[in-house]
Amino acid sequence: MRRRLVKQNEQVNNQEKSQPYNPAKLDSNLKENILQLKKLLDEPNDLIIREIAVGEDKVTSAIIYIDGLIDKQLVQYSIIENLQKLSVNSQLPKENMELFDGIYQTFITISSIEKGETLEDIANAILSGKTVFILDGQAKVMLMDTKGGESRSVEQPTAENVVRGPRIGFNENLGTNIALLRKTVQNSDLRLKTYQLGKQSKRSLIVAYVNGIINPIIVKEVNSRLETIDVSDVPESGFVEQWIEDSFLSPFPQIDSTERVDKAAAALLQGKVVILLDGTPHVLVAPMTLGDMLKSPEDYYERWLIGTLLRLLRYVAAFIAIFLPGLYIALVTIHSGMLPTDLALSIAASREGVPFPPVVEAFLMVITMELLQEAGIRLPKPIGQTIGIVGGLVIGDAAVSAAIVSPIMVIVIGLTAIAAFANPSFSTGITFRILRFGVMIAASIFGLYGIVLVYIMLNIHVVNLKSFGIPYSTPFTPTMVGDWKDLILRAPITMLTRRPKFLDPEDSKSVNKGVKDS
Amino acid sequence: MKSFKNGDEKISVNELMIAIPSMVIGVGILSLPRVIAVETIGSDGWIALAIAGIATVLMVWLMAKLAASFPHQPFFSYASLIVSKPVAKVMTFIFAILFIGVAAYDIRVLGHTSQQYLFDHTPVEVVSLSFLLVVVYAVAGSRAGLFRLNMLFLPLIIFILLFVLVVNLKWIDVSNLLPVFKTDIKGYLKAVHTSSLSYIGISIVLFYMAFVDRPHKAPKAAMIGMSIPIILYILGYLFCIMVFGHAATSHLLFPTIDLAKRVELPGAILERIEAVFFVVWTMGVFTTTVMAFDIAILALRSVFKRIKKMTLVLFLSPTMYYLSMVPNDSSQITIFGDILGNITVIFSFTTTIVLIVIAKIRGVGSNDKKTK
Repeated sequence: MRRRLVKQNEQVNNQEKSQPYNPAKLDSNLKENILQLKKLLDEPNDLIIREIAVGEDKVTSAIIYIDGLIDKQLVQYSIIENLQKLSVNSQLPKENMELFDGIYQTFITISSIEKGETLEDIANAILSGKTVFILDGQAKVMLMDTKGGESRSVEQPTAENVVRGPRIGFNENLGTNIALLRKTVQNSDLRLKTYQLGKQSKRSLIVAYVNGIINPIIVKEVNSRLETIDVSDVPESGFVEQWIEDSFLSPFPQIDSTERVDKAAAALLQGKVVILLDGTPHVLVAPMTLGDMLKSPEDYYERWLIGTLLRLLRYVAAFIAIFLPGLYIALVTIHSGMLPTDLALSIAASREGVPFPPVVEAFLMVITMELLQEAGIRLPKPIGQTIGIVGGLVIGDAAVSAAIVSPIMVIVIGLTAIAAFANPSFSTGITFRILRFGVMIAASIFGLYGIVLVYIMLNIHVVNLKSFGIPYSTPFTPTMVGDWKDLILRAPITMLTRRPKFLDPEDSKSVNKGVKDS
Repeated sequence: MKSFKNGDEKISVNELMIAIPSMVIGVGILSLPRVIAVETIGSDGWIALAIAGIATVLMVWLMAKLAASFPHQPFFSYASLIVSKPVAKVMTFIFAILFIGVAAYDIRVLGHTSQQYLFDHTPVEVVSLSFLLVVVYAVAGSRAGLFRLNMLFLPLIIFILLFVLVVNLKWIDVSNLLPVFKTDIKGYLKAVHTSSLSYIGISIVLFYMAFVDRPHKAPKAAMIGMSIPIILYILGYLFCIMVFGHAATSHLLFPTIDLAKRVELPGAILERIEAVFFVVWTMGVFTTTVMAFDIAILALRSVFKRIKKMTLVLFLSPTMYYLSMVPNDSSQITIFGDILGNITVIFSFTTTIVLIVIAKIRGVGSNDKKTK
């Protein structure tokens, strides 16, 4: 299905390319240019045009920017002040052309300057926070990078908490994010490739990888998929994820997303690609495999025994989160003989007076749980406690005393919810929640046999799934025993001397000492 | 690039090694100790299992050798090199029909057994149909996916089997093994025959060898793979005899499940643990059925090249379902299984031997390996 989309897209792209696009060149008259620009943008009131006479001849020039998108101090001290000093300076070349170059070379103290020649260039530049310098008599302009404006400071990520490890998280500013990444991965081979996405609202996207570690095939695949993106607007990296993922029918996330700088940096150094988008703190990490769903950066910061036990705990939690309600239904309705007699009796006693069969009871509770979870996210913080009270007391306690659900059911659902929250990533939790319903339905029809059928189907799905050409089920299967050291177990750091084999990195050794070449 | 190589239709030698026990361990394992015990006296059944096992290992080795001498060639193409195209066509076609039969038989036995052990009310048709649908889902995916499934399920199956055996250690009574070597030749022959039926399915080697990346290493891997079920079967048989005694074993319907029934978890978290055993057994039957189905498709597509895979899947699954519903009761299912097993064993053994002999006489195959 994705391939079809890609193909369609390629055709459209080709068609577009065949019609050459002729942008309007700038006029040499400054007044005319400004008039045209105002017309193009329909004279918004945050468009600032500051006219300054420069040089001995008092040539008219102007700087143009949009209020709020630029760093005011920077524009004030590095551009306006310099230009005004210029008027009293007599060393300036008189010739108009030379004047422009002279200003470019000597007087503007902005580090990143480009030149533009069309009206379109100006419009795009000022909308992305640049300041434009325009000189009368010149058909070209300077586009100076003065990006600024409001942005959040670097904070601790809210969704992925750890006890031990760096607290720093990405924010919405692409420049900051790249800087954070560069600070963490101090490697001259870190490569950043920039894309401009969006037809109507442009945004930059950066693909980061470490050359010499990553397998070039992965980079090629990521780039070729990114090139197919054709949308009017990319508000969040989720858009990118959905465009480039392998299968949109799968409940499993095929691209990891994170707010944590350390996680992204570790992924880069393992031989993965990190995709950053302007305007969102969530960066994408690809390729992703099944094992990555239950890994947390903290596993590596704690000592190996703790890391291993935590991983094991998470695997158990994953199974509980997916299968427990289904298992309860199967055991109580169809295989009641499997339960020990005492337990069966106490369940029967607790279910006394409950008017519904366990299936209905379980669905009632699971759906309530989903509602609570969703409502908890939406509620404003000051009244957030309400949901706890309503959920805990009203639904839990009152439902039991009204004999609508049995206490054991409440325990089962509570355990399931806790288990689902015990995994490190939010999107994984959603996967578990989806799968849980499938298991419950199958269990209510076929009992244990139904659960095993669902389990088999899950396995079939996972072995056929791929993430950027890499089988999703590695390193479980295709088996790479070497990678099992960092899968369910987390071997001591001194033993993790090789990068994951399933990524087939160019440089497989992550530690040089004591590792034989193979 | 290794991961990417794994993504396509090539399979590694290890995956072939895993595929063989996954194929062989199937429906038979539940009743095997009984059918062997019926023919023999005391604990002599394991000798029959071992003899049949050694013969089968030899056979697997021959098959792998034959197929490996035509690297990366499907069965149909090397068979037509050895014995003209029409004969090869007939052979491939018969293989396809046999594997369809095997899949149908597995589907029915699974439905039948789960109805007996897990639920009484659900009709066997529904149980079998749901199983068939899951099988179709697997077959419709990639072939490499099937081998990965084996890799996921086989360790689980072996683990549960060994777990059941280990837990039963405290029940064994070694004196049950006596008397030894009391069975007459006729009994041995019968038991060897019966046990060879539980090793059917090895002819997948003939077909899957075309996808193996390093065929010259495959014969050894195939032999190792084949010894896994033999060892498990012999162990299982001996444990049944030691725990239940010969007389009881030959009267229990599914002695292996009864073995699992003995398992008691500490604190009695769950009773009737054999349901868990049954669940894992379902995975074993699943891998067998899926591979049988896949081989049927592979064989048919090598004869009828123009048919699409999905068309075949959609055509074969109702056929299989109908075929699986032909037997009316458990005795007819047994007869169905016996006939199918006999034909499969005889046909695949003779085909392999005939092909090898003719290939040797005409000098095809082994020669181009040397020139390579």
